[in-house]
Order: sequence, then C-alpha cells, then structure tokens
Amino acid sequence: MPVPDLFFAMMKEEWRMHSTVFGSLGFALFPAVIAIFAFFGALTLPIFADVFPYDMVALLIHALFLLMGVMVGSFGLMGREFMNRRFGQASLIAYASRSLPVSERRIFAAFLVKDTVYYILLYVLPFAAGLTAATPFVGLDPILGLLAFVSLALAFLLGLSAVCFLSTLYARSVALLVGAAAVLAVAALAAYGLGAITVSSLLPPYAFFLSPAPEPLALSLLLILVPAAASVLLVTVDYADRTKRFGNRLDPLAERLRGLDGAHFIAKDALDLLRSEGGAGKVLFSFLLPLALVWICLQVLIRFIPGIDPLVVFAVLLGVISATIYNWLTEFDSFTSYTFLPVEISEVIDAKLKSYALLNLLPLGVLVLAAATSGSAGTFLPALAAFASVSAYTLAVTVYLTGLHPNVMLYHAWVFLRYLLAISPALLLLIFASIVDPAYAALSLLLVAPAAFLLARARTRWQAWEMPKY
Amino acid sequence: MIEATELTKNYGNVTAVNRVSFSVTEGELFGLLGPNGSGKTTMIRMLTGQTPPTSGSSRVMGLDPANDPIGVRGLVGIIPEQETPPSFLTAEEYLHFVAGIRNLDSVDERCDRWFDLLEFGDKRDVLCKDLSRGTRQKLMFAQAFLHEPRLALIDEPLINLDPIMQRTVKDFLVDYVQDGGTIFISTHILEIAEEICDRIGIIHNGRLLHTGPVDDPVATGRHLESFFLDLVRGDAGA
Repeated sequence: MPVPDLFFAMMKEEWRMHSTVFGSLGFALFPAVIAIFAFFGALTLPIFADVFPYDMVALLIHALFLLMGVMVGSFGLMGREFMNRRFGQASLIAYASRSLPVSERRIFAAFLVKDTVYYILLYVLPFAAGLTAATPFVGLDPILGLLAFVSLALAFLLGLSAVCFLSTLYARSVALLVGAAAVLAVAALAAYGLGAITVSSLLPPYAFFLSPAPEPLALSLLLILVPAAASVLLVTVDYADRTKRFGNRLDPLAERLRGLDGAHFIAKDALDLLRSEGGAGKVLFSFLLPLALVWICLQVLIRFIPGIDPLVVFAVLLGVISATIYNWLTEFDSFTSYTFLPVEISEVIDAKLKSYALLNLLPLGVLVLAAATSGSAGTFLPALAAFASVSAYTLAVTVYLTGLHPNVMLYHAWVFLRYLLAISPALLLLIFASIVDPAYAALSLLLVAPAAFLLARARTRWQAWEMPKY
Repeated sequence: MIEATELTKNYGNVTAVNRVSFSVTEGELFGLLGPNGSGKTTMIRMLTGQTPPTSGSSRVMGLDPANDPIGVRGLVGIIPEQETPPSFLTAEEYLHFVAGIRNLDSVDERCDRWFDLLEFGDKRDVLCKDLSRGTRQKLMFAQAFLHEPRLALIDEPLINLDPIMQRTVKDFLVDYVQDGGTIFISTHILEIAEEICDRIGIIHNGRLLHTGPVDDPVATGRHLESFFLDLVRGDAGA
C-alpha cells in the first residue's frame, strides 16, 4: 500500500474518530472558534502593546504551538491506551502494522504526514487566518499572517518531530534515550558556556518570524526533518518487555482515605496518575513550568501597570490552570469501565472532585511559596480566596460541560465556546477589580455559589449520557 | 430470573432489538445465539440497565433494570464483551477495587479462589494494560463472580481463552448452574450452546426467531448448526 493511500485512509479515520464523538458540525466548527479567538485576541494587541511588546507576544504564541506539537506527538504515540479507555477496543491504522501487509516504517511515515497536515489545518491555519483578518484593524501588514502561518507551522512541527524522535529512542531502548538526553544536555551546557544560547537559537521558527531570512528557515527545517527522518528509520513495534509488577497499593491507599466516600475510586485515581505515562514528570511539565512562566510574566507586568498585585493575579490564573488537574484525573478513565458494576456516574464524578480537592494542595503550596518568597503576605488572604474560588468555578464549568471527558469534549466547538464565555468574563472582572484594590479579589467568593449549582447540575446531566457507539 | 416483554432498542434509525420477549428461569443456562450485529450485546446492555430500552420492559431478579440499574448490577454479575479492566491497576488491585465497590469481605480469599481456578495467580501483580487478552478475560470473569451472584450475564464467555481454559470455564458454568445459579450467555459460537446450554434463543436482525430447549433440533434429527442457518437465512430472505 503506497504512503499516499495510507495517508488518505488515516485522514479519513482521524476525521471520523473526532466527528463520531462531537458530530461533524461540532468538530468542523472548532477551527472557526480558533480563528475567531485569534481575530479578537489580535484586536487587543495595541491596547496591551506597552505592557506586552509584539515580539514577546509572538514568542509566547510560538512556544504555545511548539508545546502543542509535543502534545500531539505524545498523544499519537502513546494514545492507544487513551483510545482504548475512551472508545473500548479502538483499532487504528497506526497500530496495524502487524495485521496489514505494510511495513511499520511506511505506516509511521504516513502517520507523521497525516498528523502534520491534519493538525496544521486544525490549529495553525485558522489561527493564522484570524490573525490575518485582524491586521487591517490594528495597522499591521497582512503579510504577517502568512509569515505567522509558516513560522507557527514550523514551531508545531519542531515539537512534533522532537517528541517522535525521543519516543522512538525510548521504544528502542531506555538507555539509548538516556544517552541521547545526556549528549543533548552536554551540548546545551557547552553552548551556554560559549554564550551561544539565545531565544532565537532555541526556537528558530520564532527567529524566522522576527526576521524572515534563509538561515533560521533552514535551521528550522533541519531540526524538523532530521529527527523526523531518524524516527521513521528507527521506528519499531517490537518493544522490549517492560512489564512492571506492583504489590497491592490500592488497599493501603484506600485505607488511609477511609474517612472519605469513594475511597477506592480516589486511591485508583492516585495510582492512575502515578503509573500512567509521564508519571510525576507530567505534573512538572504541564503544571509547574507554565506556572513559573506566568509568575515571570507577572513580574514584568507590575513594572507597567501600577496598582497590580502580582500575587492576586497569579492566584486567579493559578485557579484556572489548576482546573487542568481534572483533565489528568479523567485522562485514562471512562465511565464505560463502570457500567457493568453497581456504580452511579455521580459517584465517579464525586470521587474525581475529592481527588481534585486533594491534588489542589499542590497549587496551594505553590501559592504559599509565591507569597512567602515575594513578600506579598499582606494580600495572601484575598489571593487565597481568589485561587480557591476560581479553581472551584473553573472545575465546575469543566465538569458541567464535559462530564468525565474533558480531554475529548473540549474539542467540540460549541462546548469550547461555552467554556470560554463562562470563564473569561469572570476572570477579567476579577483581575480588574483586584487592580482597583487587591482586597476586592475576595469578591471571587461569589463564584462559589454558581460553582456549587453547576456541579449539582453536572451530576444529573451526565447520569443519562451514553458514549456514542464507536 | 429474567423476564423480557416486547423489548425494543433503536439507535437513531437503526432498530438493534425489535419487540423481543422471552424468559429465563432459575437454575437455567440460557444461550442467546445470533450472528454478529444481531442484537445480542444490546439485549444484555438493556437487561443490566446499561442502556434504557426504547420501548418494552424487563424484570431481572424482580427488579426493573430501566428504573433500578444499580440495584440490578448489584445483584448480578456481568461480563461485557469489549470492556477491559483499568490499565494502571494490577489484576489483584482490580479485584480489590471491585470488592470495594460491592462492599465485600474476605476479599483475599475470594481473589485467591479465582486466581487458582483460572490459573493466573502469577499475573496478580501485573498492570492490567500489560496482561494478555486471555488473562484480561479471566480477570473480567473473576470480577463478575467475585460476589457469588445468583445470576450472571456473559457476552461471549470464551473469547480469547485457550482450549484448556475454555474447558475450565465451561465446567465451571455447568457446575454453577447445577448448584442453583442461573447463567445468561450470548454467543455466536454454536458449539458452546450445544455443549452447555439448557435452552437457547436465536436472534437475527434484532428479532427473536426461536426459543426452546437446546435438544429440540437434535430431537427432530437435525444439527443445531443447520437449524440455526435455516432460520437465519430464511429470515434474511424473507
């Protein structure tokens, strides 16, 4: 089977997988939502230009698309488990090299091309289109939209090819991965010693966006194509046997939690989190690093906006980012795992909420640390109120709109739009109120009532939901 | 134990089960036979409250699964065809997890019994995602019978099991019924029904074409296979 045929079959498969869950229209509108979001976001650029120079915004967006590439690559390679839990025994062409008369190398090559085209159409193109549409209104050259399309696509592909390469090494041998990581670390240290590490050298697509010259373009393509080609050459489905054995840790954990209803579910959540791909590293990369970035940005921001209290604003954003913990908790779980047991869906949701509350000790610790190290102890109480309320409210909106499937349902255009509309105004009001007086952040406690209402509604709303047949 | 009356299930424009009525009495091993896509799995899902019927009604151990699905699932044991145990629990942890949900005592003894019977004690500390399909099926079997239910509903009971384990499971099911239990299985493998079932139902395109003792076709000088094929092909041609 030629690669083009495999590519088209995989494109069809990817579309049908998403449209089965969301409905064709719901999924087709997702790029439109991204375009609208980019359009309105670009319209606000001049307002914040003094605080956020355009090149800093461009850097953040390129970093975001790089991260997106990493996430798509990780999902593509480790997604079989996720798919099985979500849809039962999902069978995708990407996993079929043992049953089809096609080499794994050829399937993997088609898979990479498919992910490249599919996700550029889904994310990069609509984002660039929204930006281009806004350029006449903000006095920017429309050609910037085209340039952004190329450089953001490169940033996305950089993340995708890097994670594919590292995953391929991992599949071959953990020692190979560790060795490659060590070589990269030594090279990075040497480059740092020579003063050769700059943002542009780390992220060539961003350098290309700032200055569209052949050098950063060539470097970007080199950093994408070499790892991608190496991945295709080295790919294997004959993984080394890494079967791990564990003693019964469920019961001791449940015993410690016995004061809580659903202790076994909470213990299972903890084990899922610790034992799934990434383990505790997932927490570091998807939670603490973005928080560190937010904190650094806030330190810059306070130089330009008098009266802003970085701890309070950090607490608000911390509340929103904390809600992603719910995504981790539901990532490898599905209600179909319980439909043959005497379990109500509301019991599972309740247990997830308790797991969420326990895991919120982590962001709470971050908030305490931020308050202690920044000398902002005076506004700690309103910041604490803002963090707790926003975290609860964002969680409630997520649970109400997506049930146990936030990792899937938030791709539905209508669901995503409702999510944005429910969260953004409350956050902006809260941040503006706290600029007037940090103590006003305590007003966030008003969010607790709608949060409780939404959670109560979510419990009944998702009781009757059935996964579309797949 | 099971009483289905005019049970119907539509998925959009597709009628998966069409006005099916039958009953299963206590101490019976009933087999619902049918080709792939004939409505067997949907029937089990309705009888266990996993999906509500579009119309019609049923009683399972005196309860209505549509109104009291948790009550029904608390009483019966269920082995779904497709579901697999949670990836990041070990086999032993999964059984303890199910025991926790069902509030069972003497969990270690119950687990050991199933590890011994189905011969997978050496896999008790392996994560479910690393188990072979056959071992996962054994684990699903164990979870369904962990609370020693009086009625079990099993979708394709021997799927992924090797011939030795198939023998063990068939013997267990027969003994279980002889001890007063009731089993409802759905399968497209006629030999299983012929060997262990007391009574069968044949379903095709969502309609129940026949119910009766498994020996009926044999008593009239016909093999179950030819009886089944004539019925299904006749229905397809009708």
